[in-house]
Amino acid sequence: MSLAEAPVAETPAAPARATARLLRSELRLVFGRVRNIVLLAGLAAVPLLIGTVLFITQDTPVAGQGPPFLDRVTGNGVFLVFAALVSCLPFLLPLCVSIVSGDAIAGEAGAGTLRYLLVVPVPRTRLLLVKAFAALAYAGAAVAAIAVVGLVAGAAFFGVGDVVLLSGDTIPLAEGMVRTLGVVAYVIASLTGLVAVGLFLSTLTEVPVAAMASTVVVAIVSGVLDALPQLSAIHPGLLTHHWLDFGEFLRLEIDASTLLAGLAVQAAWVAIFGALAWSRFTTADVSS
Amino acid sequence: MNTTRSLSPRARWAVPAVVAGAVAAAFAVPATVGAVASDDLPAVTADELVDRVANAEPVPVSGTVVYTARLGLPDVTVSELQGAGPLDLLGGSTTMRVWSDGEDSSRAALLGDVSEYSVVRSGAEAWTYSSADDEAVHYVLDPADQERYDELAQQALEPDVEGDVPTPSELADVALAQARISTDVETTDPVEVAGRAAYQVELTPQTDATLVDRIRVAVDAETWLPLRTQVWSVQDAEAPALEVGFTDVSFDVPEASVFEFSAPAGAEVREVVVPLPEPGTMEKPSSSALGEDADVAVSGTGWETVVEVSEVDVEAILGATAEGRLPEGSTGSSGADDLFEEFTDAEEGELPGVPELDTQALYEQLATPVDGGRLLTSALLTVLVTDDGRVLAGAVPPATLEELAG
Repeated sequence: MSLAEAPVAETPAAPARATARLLRSELRLVFGRVRNIVLLAGLAAVPLLIGTVLFITQDTPVAGQGPPFLDRVTGNGVFLVFAALVSCLPFLLPLCVSIVSGDAIAGEAGAGTLRYLLVVPVPRTRLLLVKAFAALAYAGAAVAAIAVVGLVAGAAFFGVGDVVLLSGDTIPLAEGMVRTLGVVAYVIASLTGLVAVGLFLSTLTEVPVAAMASTVVVAIVSGVLDALPQLSAIHPGLLTHHWLDFGEFLRLEIDASTLLAGLAVQAAWVAIFGALAWSRFTTADVSS
Repeated sequence: MNTTRSLSPRARWAVPAVVAGAVAAAFAVPATVGAVASDDLPAVTADELVDRVANAEPVPVSGTVVYTARLGLPDVTVSELQGAGPLDLLGGSTTMRVWSDGEDSSRAALLGDVSEYSVVRSGAEAWTYSSADDEAVHYVLDPADQERYDELAQQALEPDVEGDVPTPSELADVALAQARISTDVETTDPVEVAGRAAYQVELTPQTDATLVDRIRVAVDAETWLPLRTQVWSVQDAEAPALEVGFTDVSFDVPEASVFEFSAPAGAEVREVVVPLPEPGTMEKPSSSALGEDADVAVSGTGWETVVEVSEVDVEAILGATAEGRLPEGSTGSSGADDLFEEFTDAEEGELPGVPELDTQALYEQLATPVDGGRLLTSALLTVLVTDDGRVLAGAVPPATLEELAG
C-alpha cells in the first residue's frame, strides 16, 4: 500500500464518521435533556390519565361522552390509543415538537456552544440535517410513547378485542394492530412540517424561547385559520388541516389518495421551510 | 461540498424561492393536465342522451362523491361535535364514498373528521350506522311484505331509509324525469368529470313560476351513468345551489363484503319495520309516516308541482324524533335516575354538556312564522306548515304556497 493511496481511501469515510458521531451526540443531547424527558413522560401520562378516568366513570351516566373514540375505549382498549392521540394532537404534541425543534439551533446559539459545534469537521448543511433528524426522532418518540402507553393501559384496564371501524364493520385484532401502526406512522409524518418550521425559526434567533414560542404560535394559528369557513379556499394547504385524516385508517376501504394528499402538504412545508432554514443557517455569521 | 460552499449568499437565498415555485407548480400541474379527450366524443342529440340514460344498463360503480349545498339555510351543523350525519347535507360541502353493485346492493358513507355515517342496502334490507352515536338502525320489511318483495324482485324496489344519502344519479333521475314536460333540453359541450369524458345536458324549465333556474347533468360517455348533477336556483346565477358529483369513480365490481353489514358488538341497535308500498302508490309519501289521517293532494304540474298534505300532526312528528333522552334506569337505581332528572332539564332529558340536536328547536330556527303558519324557505324548496295542520311543499316561491293555502 502506498502512502498516496491512504488519504484517498479515508477522505470519504472521515466525514461520515464525524457525522455519525455528531448524530449520536445530538440524539444523546435531545433525549438526555431533563426537560425533554419530562415532556415525554407528560405525554405518555395522557393515555394513562384518560384510561384511569374512564375506568372509574365507566358505570356512571357520564360514560360514553366526549371527543371521538372516547366512548369506544371501555369496550376495547385499542381505542385508548386513538382517543389519546386525538386529545394530544391539537396542542400537546405541537407544543413538545415546537420546544425541541425551536431549541435545535437557537439553544446552541443562546448557550454559546454553536461556534464550537461548527468547528467539528462537518459542513453546516449536514449539521442542520442532523439537528432536523434528532428533532424528528423526538417527535416520533413522543407519538410512539402515547401509542405504546395507550395500548398497554387500554389492554390492562379494558382488554383488547376485534376492532370496530368507523363504518361499523369489524376487523380482527391483528389487522387492527396493523392499522394502528399506520395511524402512528401518519401522525408522525404529519409533524414533519412543524419540525421544519421550528428549525427555520430556530436559525433566526439566539433566544431559544422565542423560536419555541413562535413555532407553537404557527401551529395554533394554523388551527384557528382551519376553523374559519370563510378561508376554506386555503384550508387544504394549512399545516394542521390534514392531521385528523389519520381516521382514514379506520374506514372500510383505506383511500390512499386522502392519505397522500396529507403527506404531500407536509412534504411541501418541509421543502419550503427546510430550504429557508438551510439558506439562513449556511449564510449566517455565527459569533456565539 | 465545494460547490455549495462557493455559492454566494444571494444565490443561497434564491434556493427557497426556487423550491417554493417548484412546490406551487407541483400542486398546480395535476389540476390542469391529465385531461381526457372529451372533445373526440361522437355527437348526440339531447333527446338521444336522455333516452340513453333512462335505458342504460345499471353498472357496478364505486368512488368518492362530493356534495355541496348552498341552500341559504341557517347553519345548524356542528359535525365537529356530533360526527358525520345526514344533517351535514343541509349546507356546506360533504364528502361521501359510494359503492353499488348495479343491482340491489349499495352502500354510502358520509365522511367526517374521524367519524362516519353509513347507509348499507342489501335487497329489501337496509342498515344505517353512525360512528359518533355508535347506533345502528336496521330497516326490514315485515314477513308478508318480504314475500311480496321477493316476487317483485325484478322490479327495482328499494326500502325507504331514513336519512338517505343522495348520489349524482339519484338527483339526475329526478331531474331527467322532468325532461319531457315543460322543459327545454339541450346538450352543452362535453365535459370531464372525475377523469372521465362526459356528455352534458342542460334542462331549463319553461316556466318562471319555479325556484329552479337550470339543471346540468353530466353523463359518462361509456356507461351512461350520471356523474355530476348541478342545480341552479333563480336566486343565484353563479354558484349552483346543489351540486353532487363524483371526484373519483371506478366501474369495477366492489367486493361483496362491502354490502354485508351486521351491527357491531356493543352498538345500540334499533329495528324498524318499513311498509312496502302498494304498487301504484309509489309516488306518494307514505301516509303512516306523517300521521294517521294524513291526506295527500297534488296541484300544479311539472316544475310548479305543489304537494299538499293535510291533517298532519307536526307536534307529534317533532316529538317522536326528539333524541337525547336518558334511557330508563341507566344509572342503575331509580333513586339516582330521579336525582339525575332533578338536576337536568326534565323536559328535555338531555345529558349536560352534550349538544344533542333538539328537533323542535331546529324546526323553530329553520321555519319563520308567517300569517297563518310557519314558512321554511331555501334556495330550491319552499315548505309552508299552516296552523290548521296542512303542509304544502314545492320548488316554487313562498307567495305561491300562501296563495294555495288561502
